[in-house]
Amino acid sequence: MFRHLFKLMWNKKKQNFLLMTEMFVSFLVVFAVMTISVYYYGNYRKPVGMDYENVWVVNYSNPLKTDNKDSIWLFYEALQRTVKALPQVREVSFTTSNVPFASATIMNGVGHKGRMISNINWYNVDDNYQRVLDLKLLEGRWFNKQDAVAPVKPVVINATLREELFGNEPATGRQYGDDKQSRVIGVVQDVKMKGDYTVAGRAVYNRTDTASLGGMEKMLVRVTPDANLAFEGRLYKTISTALKTANVEIEHLTDKRGSMNNMSLMPMIILSIVAGFLIINVALGLFGVLWYNINKRRAEIGLRRAVGATGRSVSLQLITEALILSTFSVIAGVFFAVQFPLLNVFDLPAMVYVAAIVLSVLFIYLLVLICAFYPGRQAAAVYPAVALHED
Amino acid sequence: MIHLQNIEKVYRTDTVETLALHNISLQVEKGEFLSIMGPSGCGKSTMLNLMGLLDAPTRGAVKIAGTKLEHLPDAKLAEFRNRKIGFIFQSYHLINDLRVVDNVELPLIYRKGAAKERKQLATEALQKVGLSNRLKHFPKQLSGGQKQRVAIARAIAGRPEIILADEPTGNLDSVMGNEVMDILLHLNRTEGTTIVMVTHDEQMARKTHRLVRLFDGSQVQ
Repeated sequence: MFRHLFKLMWNKKKQNFLLMTEMFVSFLVVFAVMTISVYYYGNYRKPVGMDYENVWVVNYSNPLKTDNKDSIWLFYEALQRTVKALPQVREVSFTTSNVPFASATIMNGVGHKGRMISNINWYNVDDNYQRVLDLKLLEGRWFNKQDAVAPVKPVVINATLREELFGNEPATGRQYGDDKQSRVIGVVQDVKMKGDYTVAGRAVYNRTDTASLGGMEKMLVRVTPDANLAFEGRLYKTISTALKTANVEIEHLTDKRGSMNNMSLMPMIILSIVAGFLIINVALGLFGVLWYNINKRRAEIGLRRAVGATGRSVSLQLITEALILSTFSVIAGVFFAVQFPLLNVFDLPAMVYVAAIVLSVLFIYLLVLICAFYPGRQAAAVYPAVALHED
Repeated sequence: MIHLQNIEKVYRTDTVETLALHNISLQVEKGEFLSIMGPSGCGKSTMLNLMGLLDAPTRGAVKIAGTKLEHLPDAKLAEFRNRKIGFIFQSYHLINDLRVVDNVELPLIYRKGAAKERKQLATEALQKVGLSNRLKHFPKQLSGGQKQRVAIARAIAGRPEIILADEPTGNLDSVMGNEVMDILLHLNRTEGTTIVMVTHDEQMARKTHRLVRLFDGSQVQ
């Protein structure tokens, strides 16, 4: 029976070409949506790697117009003490503009064992940064004052970079870079700095020294859960008083996370809307074609009933025909979709594409089944004696 | 072979009730070639549909090969049609998107059996009607007479005991009509197939064993 239907559909391929093309395009759009969804979901399932609740970001324009690095250092230390002395502050840390959930990114690359590892997120941080964000140490330790006099530059790396540099081996105490310019003192869990749906990527944390003070234009403040708007005002006043000519702005990491997540989801939402319209189009097209088929093929349905088909088998035939039709489109779609993992387009893991292909195939078949179900039932109800006398 | 007993068939719509057949009783013997004649709308095709289990009588009973059929479920009736009955229609009812051999195979795909066996039966049936050289053609590439011969091949491919032919020569000229009629007569003579044929053609009807005439839903001869 299947072979018979396959022949029938193949012989009618010209009539069905447009519908098959539409299903093919839909498959590709659904595949794109599924790829992003699977990728986002995979990222979403991973731990955030930090505790962003009750952490505020203080933005300020660096107002210190002096070349004396020591006096800047002393100024920041004094400001840190002042802020930390406030009753609802637990910890304070200075860092560069690439705080969690900010759009700013600082990236660097490093040559290691003859190959270049690029796109490494670069964070200049102080000794309190880990405590403020509650970063999870997987091995080694975070920075302390003794690191200021270390002969080789101490760094903390994240788990992703550790895997790239050293595989599954421990990294603490090991040096990397073609010139052995950095020594790993600790490894932290990956931190999703760009929101829940974005991959953490590679990361290196460098201890701030007097040479990098100019870039320290953000302050991360961990507050107690009862810190309210009144306290926010007090914090603002304290910092504004210390940084007289600076523009000061306070943001909450929870709010920034929400904004960043929305921004990440935007392309997927737009693509989903486009896909939604296409799918509705395909569904209506498919439904219409099947409905039209029943009316156009009443004589054929009557004949099939006369030569031994049951109502159920006629219904099944129409549904199977629709599935065969979609199979032609799906085969063509899968052919194009598999090129993505094979050619490593967009640098996503192959499993993301494989899962997206499987989900897209299932989705298209489910759509076809739903659209074919009612016309199929109508076909089963065609009365053979009547159908055979209509021409 | 076919036994119609006090058959009555009424078609009902919301407003109209039409009596298509009234108190028809008919016995068709095994191996008989029966023709049914009558003016348009007298109930010939309705009677054929009842014999072919494509429709159910309003009253009365249909018995084929000793089996009472009025209460059988759809699946059993479909199987019965498939095994026992072959249909030939005036307008051939070939599927234009299938090749000749695939059209002939159609009743066989609703049976269990290997594809090879189906193809063999279809080819044999096409040989019987003289179309073994047209297996790969599409119906659109055939003449009316050839199409009707394909329809006959389809009807006999499953080796049914009964063939029901609804005006099989109605769309053909006299030469082609005679060719088709000769095939039916040959089938009846050599294989003992019971044939019931609806026709408007008196000459064709005379070639059969027995003629039944209908008028306004009643049997008059």
